[in-house]
Amino acid sequence: MICTLLRAVRCTERLHGCPGKPWFLPHSVPHRACSQTEPRWRWGLQEQNTAARPRYIWGVNQRSIWTQGRSLQSAKEDGSKRVSVHRSQGGETVLSTSQKVKEAGRDFTYLIVVLIGITITGGLFYTIFRELFSSSSPNKIYGKALEKCRSHPEVISVFGEPVKGYGEATRRGRRQHVSFIEYTKDGLKHMRVKFYIQGSEPGKQGTVHLEVKENPESGEYEFRYIFVELEPYSRTIVIEDNRS
Amino acid sequence: MEEYAREPCPWRIVDDCGGAFTMGVIGGGVFQAIKGFRNAPVGMRHRLRGSVNAVRIRAPQIGGSFAVWGGLFSTIDCGLVRLRGKEDPWNSITSGALTGAVLAARSGPLAMVGSAMMGGILLALIEGVGILLTRYTAQQFRNAPPFLEDPGQLPSKEGTPGPGYPSYQQYH
Repeated sequence: MICTLLRAVRCTERLHGCPGKPWFLPHSVPHRACSQTEPRWRWGLQEQNTAARPRYIWGVNQRSIWTQGRSLQSAKEDGSKRVSVHRSQGGETVLSTSQKVKEAGRDFTYLIVVLIGITITGGLFYTIFRELFSSSSPNKIYGKALEKCRSHPEVISVFGEPVKGYGEATRRGRRQHVSFIEYTKDGLKHMRVKFYIQGSEPGKQGTVHLEVKENPESGEYEFRYIFVELEPYSRTIVIEDNRS
Repeated sequence: MEEYAREPCPWRIVDDCGGAFTMGVIGGGVFQAIKGFRNAPVGMRHRLRGSVNAVRIRAPQIGGSFAVWGGLFSTIDCGLVRLRGKEDPWNSITSGALTGAVLAARSGPLAMVGSAMMGGILLALIEGVGILLTRYTAQQFRNAPPFLEDPGQLPSKEGTPGPGYPSYQQYH
């Protein structure tokens, strides 16, 4: 109720263009226009459309006040325009040295904040690109190994056709993280990855262990071994064994 | 691990939808309370009433739109998992992009593309944070790398199958 009252008063202020006047009781203020909440500029347009209809507010003829209000408003706008132009012309001489220092300090702080934000965002993007696109990331290796598992006939016969793979169960059930460990042996980087596969056969779940070794010439990772370990009776299916 | 014997995927949708709704209601409630407080007329009673009104009206709307986002994202994510057959960070990023596109569908194709890019980038950032957190918190628990032999389950080169004892390896 208070809000509508305020809105009605603001409506009358715009209508008459003199916001400094004391509070009137808007009995017959055009509620129709004021009952619309947003946007405000629509009020002005609607008022212009219905300006021809005479209304009684405070016993004075509406039309005269309306034209007065309009001219007052336009005069005020011109005045404000003039004031703003004047201010911008005289802008440089108003700032004193201390204000300039404050401005510079504020700009510098903003710059630091922006740089920190860019650095953090850049770091996150770099991480995600390295994870998704670099061929030495565990996710890529997991993808390649999963493809090899899917095309292996013994795996298909044990698990059933659409074989799906997943990693460790993180919070709320998302299983995107594959567990891996990196170590260096004889100067070459090795990585071991472990993930799970499951097929359409119910209840059959297997764990895939694999190890990759870095090829010194090409820098790519090559598979050393891949094998699938079945839970119930720990039978292993060897998919690839390149140990030398 | 009996409680994880059921697949997370269809139930994850309900999970995510509810979680997003709660986040939206709480966050939106806090913001709308402050906004309603500030936009109300002077006087503590008016301000409190304005604050309560703003929360009552807007907080469920914000919660609802968050819930729509979360539910749609999770649905597309589960659909992609079903389609591709593996769980990847790619699923999340693509789901985020498609969610953004679908939710902007009423504004035309150009808005859909922009919204899809924003959704994808947002999800990529969230995935990056998740990956960094997982890697760094896991590294804290890693001891000195032990001497790693080939696991016992792997049959030796001569062909005799190895025993089924678990390999003492530490993964992270």
